[in-house]
Amino acid sequence: MYRRRFLASLVAAVAATTASLKLNAASASSGAPVSHTVKIANFAFSPATLSVGVGDRVTWINMDIVPHTATADDGSWDAGELGPNERKEIVVTEGLGGSYYCRFHPAMTAKLDLV
Amino acid sequence: MKIHTFVATAGIAVFAVFGSAHAESPADLNDLEIAHVAYTADNIDIRYAHLALALSESSEVREFAATMIRDHNAVNGQALALLEKLGAQPQDNFLSQQLIANSIELVNEMSALRGADFDKRYAENELAYHQAVNDLVENTFIPNIDNGEVKDLFGAGLEIFMAHENHAQAVVNSLN
Repeated sequence: MYRRRFLASLVAAVAATTASLKLNAASASSGAPVSHTVKIANFAFSPATLSVGVGDRVTWINMDIVPHTATADDGSWDAGELGPNERKEIVVTEGLGGSYYCRFHPAMTAKLDLV
Repeated sequence: MKIHTFVATAGIAVFAVFGSAHAESPADLNDLEIAHVAYTADNIDIRYAHLALALSESSEVREFAATMIRDHNAVNGQALALLEKLGAQPQDNFLSQQLIANSIELVNEMSALRGADFDKRYAENELAYHQAVNDLVENTFIPNIDNGEVKDLFGAGLEIFMAHENHAQAVVNSLN
């Protein structure tokens, strides 16, 4: 009888711990916003593909001597014009994600992957 | 007309081929003369771009032209800042003068055109011009420049002008 009660308590304790761990894992992925940096150098965005979450901040830094932009392909967002050494930031919102490019140099393309 | 405009457009290439037979060759220019050629070449492309903004109705051509103005002004700014730092003045030379003479013919030719004819001619000239200048910068100027900082700036410039060349090709393709 005691053994059964002990086992039942043990199972309950394990279940409670597991549930607690799952809750913590969920909090980590939807927790504090993350700041990301995309470098613009030699006419390329780096990284070319960036995974972001809602609420995250993305900062572009222009290391070229000519101006660039970071603009959504569908026009839904635009970080604006970045002069040499300038940085511009956007906050990731729901539905924001997908391919973007430089309006001044359309061959420069990259992607924000909303996770 | 076709041969005339070909020579005018590829004036630099013609010079490069026959340059060695003349007393003056692009390979003989010193750093300050090379800087003057770069500054002149930038200003010529800025002038062509202003003509495109004045005459073209195509948004693609206009955006390309706006980028030419932005980028060539940026490179010129860097070049002048570097020369000031080095306490030097760019030196006029035969090649700068040849480029200017060619550009006057091109401006006269293009300014008589309108609509799709203008767009096509402008884009084709931009492609040929960047190809010729890039070839000169990569294969003649950069190997001959003595000053390390000037060489670095030309390297950065070449990267920019290669992007322009590819962009011009894309515009030519879309207009054909």
